Amino acid sequence: MADTVKITIDDIEYEVPAGMNLVDAAKLCGVDIPVFCYHPKLGYAGNCRMCLVELGTPRRNRETGEMELAWFPRLQTACTQTVVDGMSIRTRSEKVRDGRRIILELLLSSHPLDCPICDKGGECPLQNLTMEHGPETSRMYWEDKMHLGKHIPLGELIYLDQERCIHCARCIRFQRLVADDPVLGFDQRGRRQRIITSSTPPFDSIFSGNTTDICPVGALTTADFRFNARPWEMVQVATICSHTPEGSNMYFDTRPDREAGGRTTIKRVMPRQNEQVNEIWLSDKSRFVHHYMEHPDRLTRPLIRKGGKLVEATWEEALEEIARQLQAAEAEVAGIAGGRLSNEDFFAFQKLIRGQGSNNLAAYPARVAGAEFVAQVGVGVGTNFLDVGEGDAILVVASDLHEEAPIWWLRVKAAAERGATLIVLNGRETRLDKFATHRIRYAYGEEVATLNAMLGSLDDEHIQPEREVEGLEETLRHARGFEASPELAAAAKAFAGAENAILIVGGEGVGAETSHNLAQAASNLLIATGHVGRPNNGLIIVWGAANSQGAFDMGIHHRYGPGYQPVEQPGLDYAGIIAALKSNDLKALYIAGADPVFDDWLMEEALRATNAYIIVQDMFLTQTADLADVVLPTQSIAEKEGTYTSGERRVQRFYQAIEPIGESKADREIFLTLAQKLGHGEARTVAGLIFNQDIAGAVPQYAGITYQALARVEKQFPDVGGEDLYYGGTSYPNRHGLGVQWPVAAEDESAGLVVRPAEAGSRLTATDSALVVVPVTVLYDAEPVMQKTQLLRQRVPAPYAALNPADAARLGIEAGDMLEITSDGHAIRVMAVLDETAPRGAAIVPRRLQAQGAPLAAVVAPVVRLERIGA
Amino acid sequence: MALLDTRKEDIEHHLSKYPDKRSAIMPLLYIAQEEYGYITEEAMQEIAELLDVDITHVKGVVGFYGMYYDKPKGKYLLYICTDLPCALRGAEEFSQHVCEKLGIQPGETTPDGIFTVENVMCIGACHRAPVMQVNFHFHENMDEEKADQLIEDLRREVKATEPYRSE
Ligand code: SF4
Ligand code: FES
Repeated sequence: MADTVKITIDDIEYEVPAGMNLVDAAKLCGVDIPVFCYHPKLGYAGNCRMCLVELGTPRRNRETGEMELAWFPRLQTACTQTVVDGMSIRTRSEKVRDGRRIILELLLSSHPLDCPICDKGGECPLQNLTMEHGPETSRMYWEDKMHLGKHIPLGELIYLDQERCIHCARCIRFQRLVADDPVLGFDQRGRRQRIITSSTPPFDSIFSGNTTDICPVGALTTADFRFNARPWEMVQVATICSHTPEGSNMYFDTRPDREAGGRTTIKRVMPRQNEQVNEIWLSDKSRFVHHYMEHPDRLTRPLIRKGGKLVEATWEEALEEIARQLQAAEAEVAGIAGGRLSNEDFFAFQKLIRGQGSNNLAAYPARVAGAEFVAQVGVGVGTNFLDVGEGDAILVVASDLHEEAPIWWLRVKAAAERGATLIVLNGRETRLDKFATHRIRYAYGEEVATLNAMLGSLDDEHIQPEREVEGLEETLRHARGFEASPELAAAAKAFAGAENAILIVGGEGVGAETSHNLAQAASNLLIATGHVGRPNNGLIIVWGAANSQGAFDMGIHHRYGPGYQPVEQPGLDYAGIIAALKSNDLKALYIAGADPVFDDWLMEEALRATNAYIIVQDMFLTQTADLADVVLPTQSIAEKEGTYTSGERRVQRFYQAIEPIGESKADREIFLTLAQKLGHGEARTVAGLIFNQDIAGAVPQYAGITYQALARVEKQFPDVGGEDLYYGGTSYPNRHGLGVQWPVAAEDESAGLVVRPAEAGSRLTATDSALVVVPVTVLYDAEPVMQKTQLLRQRVPAPYAALNPADAARLGIEAGDMLEITSDGHAIRVMAVLDETAPRGAAIVPRRLQAQGAPLAAVVAPVVRLERIGA
Repeated sequence: MALLDTRKEDIEHHLSKYPDKRSAIMPLLYIAQEEYGYITEEAMQEIAELLDVDITHVKGVVGFYGMYYDKPKGKYLLYICTDLPCALRGAEEFSQHVCEKLGIQPGETTPDGIFTVENVMCIGACHRAPVMQVNFHFHENMDEEKADQLIEDLRREVKATEPYRSE
């Protein structure tokens, strides 16, 4: 920031950025102004009065015409001030100390002082500031304290202690300003004032856990952690969210636990500040889902199928058997790896499968594709949604970000609020629409056509590729064959003309092939408009799993190896593997960290039909594992170390938090032991060594990154959660690494860029009895790990299809009816929900609310009402 | 029956007065209170939807102001000021008398649902203390005799005092 102003704090002059909040400016200068209600992420409310200072501002003397410093006669709230040149404050005078003491005395007048049993005790701003600035005794009558409710559930996840609340309204403001779920409010007033929620279900927000962090007292606690451990007893282990692709930085707070027989267990999950990734926020799924990791259903020993049954076996026996089978299978093997594996796991996996001479590799879920386009035109290194604002544009296509990548949703929404042009292309209304400048609805099936039409609508003035592009003429000619509505053309113009532009591509309703084409079309648009190779420009794909990006980077793909280097003999992709299983053209299939049978009846059919030897490696006996010949117990992210790569290509480290469950082993260790047994190379199993030597050697994009560099940290702003007494305990500084983004091809100015016509599908249309059935992703689904988490399971809805009331009326369907949707010979049973926002002619069916409960891609299928219950 | 069915005109009238419709929350709450005698959960939900705010916000407004009721109350609301000037003129004894006469405590409603008594803060008629507000009518320079008479009268009539209109 170029503009600075001079301010004086306690007689010392400082230079600070113009326009900054006074509390933040002081903090930047190393001066603490204690606060309760102010928060740099929420702005000021001015309702706690803790931040009182003596304030002088420059004013013109009316008689002399000279500027002079005028001191306010009374103490002023620093949090409501913006710095101006010449401003002067005193933060340590007798008057200020008096002010702070009195404010604390008043705040404590009805506080229960139950610190010894309070979860916040030990990291509580109220406790800390009282120790530092408060009175030793109170002049208030103890008997006059106001007594209010102490264990009020605001929902299943969050509990309220009304007595501890100091009415700072941070929780209310977070819900309103950041999460856009304004479901908290104050009821009553004065000493009776209390937090309430009246939403249905109560405290209806996927970000609710964050309120317990920023609450400066112990008024809001999580059902997960309350009365569970004291903050100072726990060790913070840095980790990454292993469920959605944003790569949220977090901590596992661990402690040896008596109830676990002395084992170290995860007591809670807390955000770890990374301003470029998740800032200080987490979704409730990231925060609460961890319970599956220590669930009693975890597999503890290998299982081998004997006489039709899976029975326990030793590792030696299991690995010997697998090695024998793989040896016999030679190149007729295939591998499917799920997106929760680490980069080191993926690298080892492809080494094992490719060591067999096979390129039959698929990352799971396979429905989102296009990573090679990310490798070409992914967002530039240094991209940070926080820097996106006025003059910039973000385009989101085919994604319900709120459900698929909640943290990106928060950050995209905030960018739009800062003035960025937000363009949302979808077949239906999503929670991003409200913030969008351009809302475009397409008919399902026309996703690619819509992006093509955008490109085609641009005139020469907006086609600014900035450098030589191969295939531009042909691609433009092709794109001009698609018709753009005036709204779409306007959106295209806004996108092209933006200073910076990010294009986010999701996989809503589309399958692998369309997803690939969509990424091609997105990449074309970015290249043609010159939005590549720079920070805050480029492509992001909303992957279906946390480390899908890493899977592709490591070469879990049938057409390219590590680092997107094309292989000589392309192998089978996911669909190809299914076909080959059925025709018995495969002798062995290795599925690691994926449960395709849960989603895909075709996979189930294939596994049941095939003669191939099936190896499944997982934490639980999943539906896929149930069909295996051998099942190997593997570890969760908490039991091992390694790296993940986020959807923004930030490579980040996670560390071991707890001891392995049972005899489970890290995925990479299993693959490498097998690879060594089969003579595919030595087994180097230490994650850091695999990263620094094997991966750096094989993946050019990772060559410049070391395991050590991933652990580097620097001071972040806003500086919350450090050693100070007022933010400490409400967020946590990052002491374990901010990660490193890898550069894409377009960032090398000399690299050539390639565009190709993106093949567009055709519109899906409903018929008299059939609707366009569109699978969509929901955050709270019933995937196996969610089922192991009691707390979140309660929010998982029963399987449903959302229909437009007009279609429902036409088909004689009422809300609550049981429906049967049949496609490809597979019937899905769901409950009818009538929803005005469902587009006409469509049935929106969330994936994974039940096993095999949604089509794999949008499809026109008959929707029939089953007998009405009780009718 | 939804508010919009019975009081559409009034609601639209209030909505038309403000550039931001959430500003109409207080008159709409009064309408609900007139219609149902208190502000029902359903009414809060309906108002939340009409104004495009979360129901939590509506509840907060109802909770903040003493003149909104989220539970059934009597046909006649007897607000007795017990703030300083009225207290100096015997309001506390006066309130006690009224309560004894009705056989209830401050804050309670008579079993027949006719009267609710509340001790309240200053209602702005200190020069004629003690004062009692009955629904939207002031009764000033009160004494026990006048109160007895008033209660008799109201009971006999059991008819609504002129209903409140915010205009
Ligand atoms: S519950 Fe906590 S965050 Fe919310 S108002 Fe009370 S003290 Fe502030
Ligand atoms: S009033 Fe300034 S921090 Fe609360």
